[in-house]
Amino acid sequence: MKFAIALFAAPHQPAARRALRFAQAALADGHEIVRLFFYQDGVHSASSSVVSSQDELDLTAEWRTFVKAHNLDGVVCIAAALRRGVLDTDEATRYGRTAASIEAPWVLSGLGQLHEAVQEADRLICFGGP
Amino acid sequence: MTTLHLLSHSPYGNDRLTSCLRLFGAEDGLLLSGDAVYALQPASAARKALASLPSGAGLYALAEDLQARNIQADDAVTAVDYSTFVALTLRYDKVNSWL
Repeated sequence: MKFAIALFAAPHQPAARRALRFAQAALADGHEIVRLFFYQDGVHSASSSVVSSQDELDLTAEWRTFVKAHNLDGVVCIAAALRRGVLDTDEATRYGRTAASIEAPWVLSGLGQLHEAVQEADRLICFGGP
Repeated sequence: MTTLHLLSHSPYGNDRLTSCLRLFGAEDGLLLSGDAVYALQPASAARKALASLPSGAGLYALAEDLQARNIQADDAVTAVDYSTFVALTLRYDKVNSWL
């Protein structure tokens, strides 16, 4: 079956880890993930600027490894990301900012990508809140 | 049309559980994760509220969250891992996350 997974929670919230574990289990069980869509505070989970303590789970690194390993379509909402200071090099150049923290495998794109994913998938699973 | 409800908020912080139970269909499922598993604390008001679920309802909780909080769920609750979580989202027609 095909899943679309939307993450609304920040990386330090348990929901962000739950989304990753769900996505890993879905692929392990032979299902397909048509798209990951990071929205609202979820955009921080795609940021390469996040630094985790050595004795804590590095969730952003785990997400990056997971998305790369399975060649997934990882989309970060561009409007939610820009307002939180999470930019890729194109946007950093466009707005004259010095720091970019979105790089491959993640791409910035619009909310339409979530809508399209929902049409393609059998289920949309949203992770947010605590 | 059946719905699997996903709830991760503590029953002591807001009214999401109450709202969820109000909308709950006869054949729906409820999967508790995170602090929402505190609703399974024996003899609590939330556990009593969950006892009013329809007889055809499924009541589930993420095993890791029960264990992390040392909650001994009663026999009416099915503890699930992530693989079963995935399967549950497909067993029901729709999935609604109480964000």
